[in-house]
Amino acid sequence: MAFHESSHEELSMADLLNPIVMEEVTDLEELAQARAQDERFERNFRWFQEHAAEIFTRYRGQCIYIAGEELFAGDTPEEVIAQAKAAHPEDNGGFVHCIPKEKVAHIYAHRRRMGAL
Amino acid sequence: MRIDGEWALFDDGVARPMVSGEILAADGSWVKFPFLVDTGADRTVLTAAALTQLGVRPNTSYDGISGLGGMAESVVIETQIRLSRENSSKVVFRGQYAAVTEVQSLDMCVLGRDITGLFAVIVDQAGGVVCMLSQRHHYTIQLN
Repeated sequence: MAFHESSHEELSMADLLNPIVMEEVTDLEELAQARAQDERFERNFRWFQEHAAEIFTRYRGQCIYIAGEELFAGDTPEEVIAQAKAAHPEDNGGFVHCIPKEKVAHIYAHRRRMGAL
Repeated sequence: MRIDGEWALFDDGVARPMVSGEILAADGSWVKFPFLVDTGADRTVLTAAALTQLGVRPNTSYDGISGLGGMAESVVIETQIRLSRENSSKVVFRGQYAAVTEVQSLDMCVLGRDITGLFAVIVDQAGGVVCMLSQRHHYTIQLN
């Protein structure tokens, strides 16, 4: 039985298993800036949720960016990010989302490797 | 510690469990992203759109991401993910994360067990609850 071998250019899952380091943010200025950004994101996300049905029908297969409670659509992330940043440079609570070409059930998984016996 | 999420509508009315968070970009700014809370995902994976927006230089290619659609081209980046706590403070997760490089491979950043494994995760669609608990926060199962 053959098993996949990684090249030097690739990482195995074991290589990626370095532990994640979790730290609390204590800087008050950073927290204040983060809360302001959260509020902007909440406004944009609520707008996105209110228009979700229309957005997923009309912009299927495209990338969208919501900023300033406004939608920007295009073929690539670069395109919509540029449009949104130009229109709402002050809004750091925007977000990008690329809508799949087809509506399908989503199942995500991580590749598992078997060790040779 | 409690990190609250929500059930949000994605893709033609399908509700998914998500938490909002930020990822540290190459220019030092924090960029907002909704994360799918995927209790079945071994690792946190970022979208190609996120990779573009962050501008973070990948460390190397990575061959370990697959789903039902087969293998996805991906890279590894070193960055930080920041989530909001119940008390309006923030918690940061520093590490290496995989990111797909094809836009159609993944439509939403996935929060996998490299992060969710640090918490007890409640994903309760009937109850409308998405919640990650650790430290002094616990859950109780009751029989009514």
